[in-house]
Amino acid sequence: MISLFEIAERTQTGEKVEEKKWDMDLYRTISELVKKYRIEFPGEGCFINMDDELAERAFEAAIEFLERTGVYCVTTRRRVRLSRDEILTAIHEAPTEILMGEGRDRRIWKQRKIEEKGKLNVCPGHHAPFTEDIAPLVVSNFAQIPRADFIEGFNFSEVDGRKIIGAPMEVYASRRQLGWMREGVRKAGRPGLAVVYYPINTRAEDLIGVMDPDHGLRRTDGILLTLLPDLKMEQDMLCAAMVYEEYGSFKLSGSFSIAGGFCGGIEGAIIEGIAKPIACMIVYRDYIHYTGVEHIHMLNGRRILVPGINWARSVVNQALNRFTHTICMRWIIPTSGVGTELNLLEGAMQAIEAPINGMNLYAPRHCRTTTNRGQTPLEAEWMIEVSDAVIEQQFDRHGANELLARLAKRFEGEKPAEGYDIRECYDLIHHKPMPDYEKAYISVKKQLTEMGLKLI
Amino acid sequence: MEISNLPQEQRDLLDSLTDAIAVIDDDKAKELAEKIVNEKIDPTIAIKYSIANAAIEIGKKFDSGEYFLAHLVMAGDLMEAVSAILEKNIPIEHIERKKVIVIATVEADVHSVGKNLVSTMLKATGFEVHDMGVDVPSMTIIEKAKEVKADMIALSSLLTTTRPYQKEVIEDLASMGIRDHFKVMIGGGPVTAEYAEKIGADGYGRDALEAVEVAKKLLS
Repeated sequence: MISLFEIAERTQTGEKVEEKKWDMDLYRTISELVKKYRIEFPGEGCFINMDDELAERAFEAAIEFLERTGVYCVTTRRRVRLSRDEILTAIHEAPTEILMGEGRDRRIWKQRKIEEKGKLNVCPGHHAPFTEDIAPLVVSNFAQIPRADFIEGFNFSEVDGRKIIGAPMEVYASRRQLGWMREGVRKAGRPGLAVVYYPINTRAEDLIGVMDPDHGLRRTDGILLTLLPDLKMEQDMLCAAMVYEEYGSFKLSGSFSIAGGFCGGIEGAIIEGIAKPIACMIVYRDYIHYTGVEHIHMLNGRRILVPGINWARSVVNQALNRFTHTICMRWIIPTSGVGTELNLLEGAMQAIEAPINGMNLYAPRHCRTTTNRGQTPLEAEWMIEVSDAVIEQQFDRHGANELLARLAKRFEGEKPAEGYDIRECYDLIHHKPMPDYEKAYISVKKQLTEMGLKLI
Repeated sequence: MEISNLPQEQRDLLDSLTDAIAVIDDDKAKELAEKIVNEKIDPTIAIKYSIANAAIEIGKKFDSGEYFLAHLVMAGDLMEAVSAILEKNIPIEHIERKKVIVIATVEADVHSVGKNLVSTMLKATGFEVHDMGVDVPSMTIIEKAKEVKADMIALSSLLTTTRPYQKEVIEDLASMGIRDHFKVMIGGGPVTAEYAEKIGADGYGRDALEAVEVAKKLLS
């Protein structure tokens, strides 16, 4: 695989490109490739991709896309070109499993295949902001979920009563994040559970300052290093990638594409959605990715569902699982707030997709999360329960498609629900939902059972 | 003069311009703009009517999912080009000044998607927008706002830890004694209406479409 030093050099020597030109060229290239490779949404009623040839064409489109555009370094405003050979070699050489954690909490994260029957790997939580007063308690709640294979950190705005602003406080806060994570997993009786550092900010000092086998990031832990949308990289992230390659921690990335942005509609987002994890792997050595397609109107919380979005995710993940070694995760991002029926139903939809399309499970979190309102352990346990049921009941693509169609009808006419603070809907002391939230949970189990997924 | 006072033929021409901009037909829109100038239709009507209506149509198309971010960029550029044609015979002192907005993602934050959306929507709606990019320090934003005589400063932040830089801009404006020279609107993932109120911002946009409405209200 092309070395990170080579990537670093190309960020300094590549062709200079103004960002606006990059954005518009990306749109034009993707639009051309959507037509060339005939990537087209089959229409209403299609939630899971059934067309294996289309997935293959989408993969070819993504390779051509990456070869033609490369990656954009926002720090130096230069293009990092990648040859087809370099791209294909990287795909071939990437691992299909990652070892993480220590002792009895050592786990292997694996790439999954479409409709694979084994249980999914799980990251139950975080990537959502919490206040420091509840931080270790929140962590221990999530870490005590038995199926947790790793757990990710979180952001916050104050530490030790001080506002976090500026690099020195960010670095301090980053180390405290890891401290709380380590404390939380110990309290849950999972001292070896891998923790993943969630960047307080993307400065190199914030990313590297947490390396500390005693109190911070161990070699068996991980870090989130992500390309920005539209295949944009940063030198600070590359610095961290180079350091962590030597240190030994594994790396994750947020590799979904955003339909409605410069990649265009869902068809264009499919191309970027396949290309992006490959690019992340090459420039940052990320091997575990939350993949797929999201839509700008869903991420903004304007709509619960956009037609074709499930299908687009399906194409991306099927292509990645068939033609690359990408280890995919489904990041469950409901538009409705936590503590509500709609949040659980939206989460269920995404958890049903996961085993069918070959994805593990990652940190359910409200799309517009604010402090303490992003997630509770119940959504994590719920996503596991739903995906396990899909596997046990041997749903295939066709069966899952019908189930998702019934579930999608449930959202018709609904607007995203406002949610609650975690302390309003979840008892962190006793690790259980508050009565109203429990009622909502039982109600959605009933609804899904009536739709054909037996949970009761 | 109001549009209702114009002959039907001229109103049709203005509507055609709206349609051409809304479908981002560069050649057609520019050709129609030239025709409007040649027929000596009041260009300020064309700007207030045709371009403004096109902006509404474009906003609807984006909301419905028909248009994407690239369309907003192209539409904004086209509107700028059409305005330049319409305004070419107007003495500069008679050209109605557009409201000016300086927009940036704050210091230490490199996220741009939300800011780009807001920036392009504001431009497409008819504001003069100076997009300063990402990771922009407070004083740099303020100096730009002073330089271009901005009416509003719009600040984006996607990280909880960069939100405080939005507050810093407001505090810097106050300490320089020029807080009341600019409206300040904020937005971004971790930002809420409550936070905007807490730090003394004038407005908050939950998403790009809302940001446009807030900007219109604040600058009316």
